[in-house]
Amino acid sequence: MVRKTYSTIGRTTRRKDGVSKVTGREIFASDVVLPQMLHARVLRSPYPHARVVSIATAEAEAMGAVCLTPSDCPAWLYNERQVSIPEKTYRDRTVLPETARHVGEGIAAVAAKTEALAEQALGQLAVTYEPLPSVFDPWEAMAPEAPRLYKDIFLGDVVLPIERNIACFREMREGEVEQGFRESDVVVEQEFRTGRVYHHQMETKGVVCRPEPDGGISVWPTAQSIHNVRQLLGRIFNIPLSKINVHRIPIGGSFGSSIQMNTCIAICAALALKAGRPVRLVLTREEDLYDHCKYPSLIRLKFGVKKDGAIVAGEMTTVVDIGAHNIQAYPLLGCMAGWFVSLYRMPHMHFQGTAVYTNKAPACAMQGYGNPQVSFAVESLIDVIAERLNMDPIDVRLKNYVGLGETFWGQGPTVRSVIRSCGVEEMLQKGKDLIGWESRNRPEARSGRFRRGIGVGRSFHTSGTGAPMSGEVIDYSTALVKFNEDGSVDCLTPLMCHGGGTLEALTKIVSEETGVPLSKVEISPADTRSTGYDVCTHATRGVYCGGASARRAAQQARGILLQFASRILEVNPEALKIRPDEDLGQGVIYLEGAKGKSITVGEVAKTAQIKSWGTAIAVVSHRQVNCPPCFVTNFIEVEVDTETGRIRPVRAVAAVDAGTVINPDLAAGQLEGGLCRGIGLALLEDTDYDPRSGALTCGGNITDCKIFTALEMPLTEDVATFFAETEEPSGPFGAKGVGEAANNCTAGAVANAVANALGLRFTDAPMLPEKVLARWTDYLREKRGA
Amino acid sequence: MTTYPVRFLLNGTPVEVDVAAQDTLLETLRNKLWATEVKNGCGKGDCGCCAVLLDGRAVNSCLTLAVQANGKEVVTVKGLGNEDDPHPLQESFIRKGAIQCGFCTAGMIVSAKSLLDENPRPSPDEIREAVSGNLCRCTGYKKIIEAISDAAPKCSPSD
Repeated sequence: MVRKTYSTIGRTTRRKDGVSKVTGREIFASDVVLPQMLHARVLRSPYPHARVVSIATAEAEAMGAVCLTPSDCPAWLYNERQVSIPEKTYRDRTVLPETARHVGEGIAAVAAKTEALAEQALGQLAVTYEPLPSVFDPWEAMAPEAPRLYKDIFLGDVVLPIERNIACFREMREGEVEQGFRESDVVVEQEFRTGRVYHHQMETKGVVCRPEPDGGISVWPTAQSIHNVRQLLGRIFNIPLSKINVHRIPIGGSFGSSIQMNTCIAICAALALKAGRPVRLVLTREEDLYDHCKYPSLIRLKFGVKKDGAIVAGEMTTVVDIGAHNIQAYPLLGCMAGWFVSLYRMPHMHFQGTAVYTNKAPACAMQGYGNPQVSFAVESLIDVIAERLNMDPIDVRLKNYVGLGETFWGQGPTVRSVIRSCGVEEMLQKGKDLIGWESRNRPEARSGRFRRGIGVGRSFHTSGTGAPMSGEVIDYSTALVKFNEDGSVDCLTPLMCHGGGTLEALTKIVSEETGVPLSKVEISPADTRSTGYDVCTHATRGVYCGGASARRAAQQARGILLQFASRILEVNPEALKIRPDEDLGQGVIYLEGAKGKSITVGEVAKTAQIKSWGTAIAVVSHRQVNCPPCFVTNFIEVEVDTETGRIRPVRAVAAVDAGTVINPDLAAGQLEGGLCRGIGLALLEDTDYDPRSGALTCGGNITDCKIFTALEMPLTEDVATFFAETEEPSGPFGAKGVGEAANNCTAGAVANAVANALGLRFTDAPMLPEKVLARWTDYLREKRGA
Repeated sequence: MTTYPVRFLLNGTPVEVDVAAQDTLLETLRNKLWATEVKNGCGKGDCGCCAVLLDGRAVNSCLTLAVQANGKEVVTVKGLGNEDDPHPLQESFIRKGAIQCGFCTAGMIVSAKSLLDENPRPSPDEIREAVSGNLCRCTGYKKIIEAISDAAPKCSPSD
């Protein structure tokens, strides 16, 4: 296809927030300092399950500390995530609980003049606990005699009894799965596991809250959605939303860890309201490790296929250990079904998902929201099918993938839309050439200590959660665009940038639409009082959904500006165009073919101001009616050391179909980063608990809950990235997302590469050296025995 | 609580601050001297977000006591350059896409500066080793290593 040419879209430019980041001038939540500010610390339960009988605060208060205990807090149960519609929101927690349900759960808090004083005051709180029996394994938790975390919680406004610690259960069927398996020539089935990976965003969660004289509160939080923070604080503390102002502030990495309003925000707000002074609360790394992790997965997956490789039936059963709180398990199970059914066509399908409470840190969304877990299982089993049918794994994928014109419901059963752009085949073909797929041998051809293998994995993510009909998930964005009197443009949006360049993309979209050079388009500081609602920067929706609202606002503001220009130039406004003039630093409004009929944007805006015609300004609230998949493909070559069990990825090709790519350099950076986090999921990362104490075995140290350092990261050189040449008709200038997609297929590609290297398949991640070595040793023994 | 006066040069400016014996350089820089460019990612020496140059060598300021800085020179990322006159490393980090969220960036650039002062033409492996105490979750390090390689020939120790 022929790509459209744009003045700004698709150009590599110097990112606007670059200078503030490299010179240390970027201010994060933990850097906010206010006059009279107090510092807070939180007392956390040493028990995985215990009733808090009493908390004596007298000694801490005598030191001048402000103390917060459960009795100071509203009793209203909340769910920190506000993305689902209310009747699908499970509410099981309070600001501070009367029963701690995992080690590290906050049960009291203090605020004092310095952090050191707060720490000392914390030591003076005298707590009496009544330890309760606890459970850490989801299967044990479902046993009738298991300790119960909850008797009941709320689903929306309805009391929901909790039986056998099952937080929620979802089942979905299409066709007749048993009949499908009967009609299949080959049936393959395996169990897969991924770990409870910690987000490991470099900035620990933090917040500053300032109570206001009108009874309201101002908040500077680590957050992916300022509006959801405002709504939740308003509901918990019974404050009108008009008196709550939540400021957007840069976030030091997120990966899903702040989709929800972090619990420290509610604690800090309660402390600030009690103290009548600003309070800052920043989590230590240990506290952050106990705050959230990725949803782990136990997936039993079964496919039935015809001899020609066509999938007839698929069945997935999953049990998810959600930890002590149900943040978003219900939509997670819907998405896991969606990820499963939207990768490959299957006339007959059956999905069953069970989310189970345990006395561990609560799990939440982390880059991919169940998709890396599901894609690990599906992509592994697709290779097993290829092996059984003696087919090329790429051919099995090409035969079955869900593509152009087909219905897709990645974000769960209520978010159905039709695929209108698809680069799956292009990525498989081009990636195959780049990695040298044709030279790929069978494992039997290898010998020696170091064995190499090549694997492929593909996946996708959705660009947002919109669809023609509104469903279980809220999804729309609001943006304001205005022309300033010197010809520059402001864009106001509550959207966040997590580092990947979302707001940078918005400036390009607005620049392209208004015709004003990029150097004169800026994103304004945003807070909840001055912006319309935006659900959250999550679900890979920033550019596709947020960008679409900004483009529409820019279109409308441009229309107003051209009306003003038409008065000056005496030309029909619909005949006028705008082009950027980099030398002038202005957009130039002109009538094509008519010399002299031109004027700069700045002159028009200034004239409109002087003559009191008004400002060219527009606000748009917009929901995307599609939910296009951004497809992704990884080809990875690994080298396995059969003497140590160490797996080392040595070469990779990472590709995405993001439609029109708005920031090519930043999108390539997203692909590389996602690839590396996917490798972490596959090979290294998990959080382990001591079953006696319920505490994390890493002791809160990130060197013991490892991520790769620069020295250990396998792929820092031989990585090729490319973009499929597609254009999404419903996206702003043809764009879709990249974000989460970037890590969704990596673990599957690694597993397939290892299987190609050794002839041995690993289905439980992380594939740690000790695990690999033990299995390899057994495998050799069996082979010799045979 | 007993405090001790500590004097040092912070980004070329003499500063004097009263600290307790157990106060870390990180706490002192952030809370008493408002050097918020020095980030706290763990407080335990695991992540490197708080790296500063102490007499020219990169140290984790969370593992350095404030009193250890007495009489010395402390340079943070702000001391390397600013928006009008960025250090070549700062410029390369922007141009090569070595920044995403930006939280590790200040410490990462400081460690890179310390490396280039000792080894003006490091190999990629030497760069990897030099910044192995600085964790980054966003990038996968590829573009960071490229940015440091790219900046090396443009740097002189006086930068």
